[in-house]
Amino acid sequence: MKETYAKPPKIPLHFLRWFCDPDMLEDIEGDLTELFGVRAKDKPRLAKIIFWLDVLIMFRPGVIRNFEYQKLNNYDMFKNYLIAAWRNLMKNKRFSSINIFSLTLGIAACIIIFLFVKEEQAFDAFHSRKDQIFRLCEVQSFPGTNTQKVALSMPGMGPTMKEEFPEIETYARFWSFRNQPARVGDKHFMIDKVCGVDSTFLSIFDFPIIAGDPSGNMDGKEAYITRSTATKLFGSIDVVGQQFEMDDDLLSVKGVLEDVPDGSHLQFDMLCSIYLGTDDPADFDHRFGSNHLNTYFILNDGANLEDMAQRYPEYLSRMMDNEDINDFYKLFLQPLEDVHLASTDIEHDYNNHRKFNGTYIDVFVLIGVFILIIASVNFMNLTTARASTRAKEVGVRKTIGALRNQLFFQFILESTIMALIAFALAIVIDFISIPSLNILIDRDFSMLQFVSSEFIVVAFLFTLALGIVTGMYPALYLSSFRPVTVLKGLKSGEKKSLFRSSLIVLQFGLAVGLIVCTLVVVQQLNFMKNKDIGYRTDHIMVVSLNYDARDNYQQIKDELLKQSSVLGVTASGQRIGNNFHQWGFKVKKDTGIVDFTPSNVVVDYDYLDVYDIKLKDGRTFSKEHAKDNGLAFIVNEAFAKEIGFEDPLGQRVGHGWYPDDSLGTIIGVTEDFNFNSLHYKVNTLSMVVHSDWGYSEMSVKLNGSNIAQGIKEVESVYNQFVSNYPFEYEFLDDHFAELYKADNQLGSIITIIAVLAIMIGGMGLFGLASISINRRIKEIGIRKVLGASSKDLMVLLSKNFGILILISFVIAVPFTWIYLAGWLEGFAYRISINPLVFLLGGVMALVVAMITISLHVIRAAYSNPVTSLRYE
Amino acid sequence: MGKNTIGEFEEILMLTVGVLYKEAYGIAIKEEIESKLKRKVSVGAMRTALKRLEKKGLLKSHLGEATAIRGGKRKRYFVVTPLGQKVLKEVMDTRKQLWESIPDVAFDLKLI
Repeated sequence: MKETYAKPPKIPLHFLRWFCDPDMLEDIEGDLTELFGVRAKDKPRLAKIIFWLDVLIMFRPGVIRNFEYQKLNNYDMFKNYLIAAWRNLMKNKRFSSINIFSLTLGIAACIIIFLFVKEEQAFDAFHSRKDQIFRLCEVQSFPGTNTQKVALSMPGMGPTMKEEFPEIETYARFWSFRNQPARVGDKHFMIDKVCGVDSTFLSIFDFPIIAGDPSGNMDGKEAYITRSTATKLFGSIDVVGQQFEMDDDLLSVKGVLEDVPDGSHLQFDMLCSIYLGTDDPADFDHRFGSNHLNTYFILNDGANLEDMAQRYPEYLSRMMDNEDINDFYKLFLQPLEDVHLASTDIEHDYNNHRKFNGTYIDVFVLIGVFILIIASVNFMNLTTARASTRAKEVGVRKTIGALRNQLFFQFILESTIMALIAFALAIVIDFISIPSLNILIDRDFSMLQFVSSEFIVVAFLFTLALGIVTGMYPALYLSSFRPVTVLKGLKSGEKKSLFRSSLIVLQFGLAVGLIVCTLVVVQQLNFMKNKDIGYRTDHIMVVSLNYDARDNYQQIKDELLKQSSVLGVTASGQRIGNNFHQWGFKVKKDTGIVDFTPSNVVVDYDYLDVYDIKLKDGRTFSKEHAKDNGLAFIVNEAFAKEIGFEDPLGQRVGHGWYPDDSLGTIIGVTEDFNFNSLHYKVNTLSMVVHSDWGYSEMSVKLNGSNIAQGIKEVESVYNQFVSNYPFEYEFLDDHFAELYKADNQLGSIITIIAVLAIMIGGMGLFGLASISINRRIKEIGIRKVLGASSKDLMVLLSKNFGILILISFVIAVPFTWIYLAGWLEGFAYRISINPLVFLLGGVMALVVAMITISLHVIRAAYSNPVTSLRYE
Repeated sequence: MGKNTIGEFEEILMLTVGVLYKEAYGIAIKEEIESKLKRKVSVGAMRTALKRLEKKGLLKSHLGEATAIRGGKRKRYFVVTPLGQKVLKEVMDTRKQLWESIPDVAFDLKLI
């Protein structure tokens, strides 16, 4: 057709056609087109604009077609769905509450797991350059000691590596000076964590500063203190420029920092120049040999760790002037994130507050998913199993004209509503339970924080999604009913559902797995708690010795031993429970002097007696022998085995710095005891007395019957001899509890979750059993009439569920076994998995299942057939 | 007067429909008003008013022939219904009555 008219612009035309009342569209469109044609003859462009305006002016009530009709209809249906959903909830309170409550428990558990994971991941995250921060670590493989990863490095490494490696932008070293006494005027204080750092420290790590110079530059006469230290020392935080004495140095406050947050692996109360820790600052930056501090680097964006690692050996042998040094040391850089989450295999990791086993995070997430699956299964199973009760409704709705997708939407809506109710309840439950949970797993979760953060929105959306996903199968199933079949009263689809059965298998498989895991984890934790580690840890109080206390140790000890509740007093250079420092050691063999690097600890004469460490051979230290001070060594079995003498007693050995011709003697061999955490094998160990060195810790063994009295006595004796510095102590038990904290937390959480899993699974089974047994009530009646005994009937009814649980058990066993075997690998001292544990787990699941269904089974089996068969 | 009150613009529309007699469709009405009364009329305002009048039963409409210039769309012709005529007449009568009851003095004063 020829174009005999001017075509108006398309977009407004389409718009007009869309909104215009169909009754009026034809003549309006005609009018506008005609007008456009007339105008377009003179000014085509203007005509287009006017056409646009005309159409826009048309967009007014009276011309716009009625969109409302459809909306109104949907709204009414929506309302009806809500009413139907509500009535359905109310009508079957038992099933509704099982559905909602199991989802509630699942969601509540997930929220807590989420809080846990989020807290762990937020650790150390407040440093703005966190992705560029790396910690220098070493893998040490000295002869005569276990290969170990250590977090410590040498003082010379930071400065020289920065020179040698262009990838390194800057470095900062962190050296803990432990607690130090301080004096302001004539008042004495103890500052807990004093740390020496480089002036770059505050530019690498973002510890917020309240007052003073934020640069972090410090000379030997300046210090940064935290808010609480400032308050403790000066009673105010406005103290920049104020002076205090520490040791023999007069320090002035350069700046006041905010207290270090708990979520930082570095903890300190005061920062001073790292050079305060050395007598020879000039040499310090090139000092190699001894690893005693932490080194951090900021790397350039493009730095390639592997590339750098290839240059370490050359660097190290040049710096330490030793070709073979790389046989003993391998350097590696650890990303900041891993310092907290992936340092469980790193030893001598003293400045790593609250370090956590990052693999447990994955486990927790997995467990969270499991528990949600278990809870969702309940919903799916109960809804489909009770499909017959909704069948008539579906039939009627379909007859009236409901489409399948409308019904689908209705059922999805129902499940979403349930999920949302569960969500609300879960939040309430968490609010109630979190305080006690915090105590149990020693955390500081806050629901208030959760509710007020954007995560609540995420959680809400997640719940919506959960409602939709779990509603999917029931909705598909229910909306598929054919009205003719269901309205005729024929029971449709009452066959055993394979899908439903496999869901139960899944549910109980997970539950069995979790129960077995709980049993094994708890066993392992108990094993660690009760393992004879070769010395006593109970009622032993460790008191730090400083200055006066160190000098007066002998008098304090003598006085303490007079106290009624003190059973023994000894002292050592390091605390037992962590690995002891490794020092170079010499062993004289027939072939000459052999170098060797065992763990070492300096102890008091009666250390073995107080700690009840058992001697296998030889004798313990004694003051009677003059040579026992510095020239007598007691080693452990591992040491004796490692050096390979048939009779280690009397062999000539000594510290690395002893001249070859004046070595000491091995006077005793102890049984192997776990001076390190049970994650590690017992290392070679040598103990020696150096009474003139001074000890850093005193161990006081108290009479267990009256600990409070004991503490009081120790304190008063301490104060008698030490006037300036406060009395500080810790019980060794607490120290060990700290050592296994992550493991214990895993234990608690997995136990709670396993209990929840079996509870939720049990609730689901309870509902399901009642449905399936009700459905067979007539069959049971007939069987009874024909002579079946109640016992036969009970077996008959329980059999199906029993088989399902058996199947789930069989499936769960291998997976659980593999996981647990892997977990136990992480412990040098571990239980072997007892197959009986699996059996026990399976039996427990079975028993819980049988008890839950027994109520229905017994009622059905003993019911009077007359009642069930009366109506037909 | 009663319930069938009409506004000024509606009155003009109806009168114009009457004037145009058998040729009263959208554009024609618009042009007639614009040329005779020298006032701008938007298609939108006119169309809704026409629809309103039709709904009140004062006008009725039918679709006419399609022309090429309109893109093949038909015209909608409007005719005044008997009720419409009655209402128009009532309006005119009311006006007339009012005019007649104005005392001469009232307007004379202005002339001075």
